[in-house]
Amino acid sequence: MTDTTPQTPPSAGPALTERPEGVLNLLRAGLNRASGSVRALGTLAALGLIWLYFSLESQYFFTTANIWNILLQSANVGIIAAGLTVVMIAAEIDLSIGSLEALSGSVAAVVIIQHGYSIWLGIAAALGATVLAGMVSGLITWKLKVVSFISTLAMLGIAQGVAFLLTNGHAIAGFGSTYAQIGTSTIDGFPGAVIIAAGAFLVLHLMLTRTKLGLQIYAVGGNAEAAAYAGINPGRVKLIALMISGFTGGIAGLILSSRLDAGNGLFGAGDLLQAVAAVVIGGTSLFGGVGNVIGTAIGVVIIASINDGLILMNVPDFWQQIVVGVLIIAAMVVDQLAKAARLTVR
Amino acid sequence: MSEQTQIGDVVLEARGISKAYGAVQALDNVDIELRRGEVLGLVGDNGAGKTTLVKCLSGVFRPDSGTILIDGNDYGDLTAEFARSLGIETVYQNLSLVDTLDVMQNFFLNRELFYNNPPARALRWLNRRRMYKVTEEHLRALGLPVDARRPVSALSGGQRQMIAVGRAITWGRHIVMLDEPAAALGVRQSIQVLRFVRTMAERGVAVLFISHNMQHVLQVTDRIVVLRHGAHVGNLRTADATAQQIVTLITGSELVIAGQDFAV
Repeated sequence: MTDTTPQTPPSAGPALTERPEGVLNLLRAGLNRASGSVRALGTLAALGLIWLYFSLESQYFFTTANIWNILLQSANVGIIAAGLTVVMIAAEIDLSIGSLEALSGSVAAVVIIQHGYSIWLGIAAALGATVLAGMVSGLITWKLKVVSFISTLAMLGIAQGVAFLLTNGHAIAGFGSTYAQIGTSTIDGFPGAVIIAAGAFLVLHLMLTRTKLGLQIYAVGGNAEAAAYAGINPGRVKLIALMISGFTGGIAGLILSSRLDAGNGLFGAGDLLQAVAAVVIGGTSLFGGVGNVIGTAIGVVIIASINDGLILMNVPDFWQQIVVGVLIIAAMVVDQLAKAARLTVR
Repeated sequence: MSEQTQIGDVVLEARGISKAYGAVQALDNVDIELRRGEVLGLVGDNGAGKTTLVKCLSGVFRPDSGTILIDGNDYGDLTAEFARSLGIETVYQNLSLVDTLDVMQNFFLNRELFYNNPPARALRWLNRRRMYKVTEEHLRALGLPVDARRPVSALSGGQRQMIAVGRAITWGRHIVMLDEPAAALGVRQSIQVLRFVRTMAERGVAVLFISHNMQHVLQVTDRIVVLRHGAHVGNLRTADATAQQIVTLITGSELVIAGQDFAV
């Protein structure tokens, strides 16, 4: 762009626009402006209620060690959910994130354990593989006009298949103590993996809210046609979103493989459901253009808290998946009801 | 009103523009010229190809054949982003605002301001405070006092239309194309838009004005081009034209109902 200074507009005529006045309009304007934060406060309140309930039900729930454990259990799902949030704001979806974790851990295991290369090379190869996977999904969506639901569903199978091929179907174990630091180190008992996750959330939050790329992601998700009129290439923006999701999938896979001290095609397989649940609970729209990673972070902690609380209450594991599924539906219903209520006020 | 305006050089010249959607020939070998300081009316019935032509000229569509010269230069395949960088702004009929973004974000869409230091420019870090300020200043100067932090979804249809028009007027320093800019507007706002159009032309901007409202077209344009079934069928000076004449060109036949002129 050669010139970013607008020319002085033509002389003003009399103010002829209707200006909404009156209490109802002011209220409506305020609600609209604050609707994002109201939604986030609602999610936070839900988390508070869940914590209160489990604290009453189990004396072990509200202890520092258990809260740190909840955060640690949130770390890798949280990181893929943050990347998924970016993709969903761009009005696409990434179903491959769980298998990207498996791919990342398996590539790292093959490079570091099987071939004895340095940890850094293993990390670079793992992240390179998952970003490449995101790029392939994104290019298929952009250039071949295949919706991301399909391109990333295919990538779910491909990435997991490659992970199984690389590891020959087994778990390649024994990274050693340095690599284990990624997922298991602690600072005064606080898990280091949570700091990595928090860093990912912070970077993506700033990217979405403070940079031109973030604005383009919201614009393309909100109205791809209008974004294209403004000279934004929607396909390119969606490609970048899917590559970001590939990167976060890779990071999460490194943490997971470090904690499990192995790489395998099955690791991370159950994380997609939880990540989608976290994003939806966090208020990101399935239709694009609306959402934020702060809500997702709260959503992730809600899910990890429920999983943790149910274990403390001796509820069988299988219930966790059912509860997460019900939560997705509940979050969608709440959003639909809120949307209907807003439309009636308007 | 065209008498006092100085009409200058050709700033945009499109020759032989054709565009088909499958079997439908939307544009068939259309020529059109925009001149500095001139308001050119583009009229035609629904489906005559007006919107398709605008989208070809603004770089959104790539014509199947034909050349577009801007200031005498053939830039090859024109893209929407490049056209904007040349000072060409367009208000599309379906408005081209992103409802989920706020007024400022729409006003600046894809021409955002960054903080003026190397890391901020490298990261394309938004100077949001300045953008809100600039947006409100410009919209206020246009007589549109809107809170730039409001999401566009919270605005009325008329306000959205005025934001879209205000954005084009602010940024279009060379050529502004308006596709039905008054469609969602009341009488007073329509008059305001017509006034903006004349003011822009007096400042030397070339304006392409599409409307179904014959009265608006006759009031605001200097010259009128008529499209019918994708073909250029008429080019007349507004001063010499009558509504009846234009309607005849648009429909291709004299429309007479009970002996009365049907033209508005």
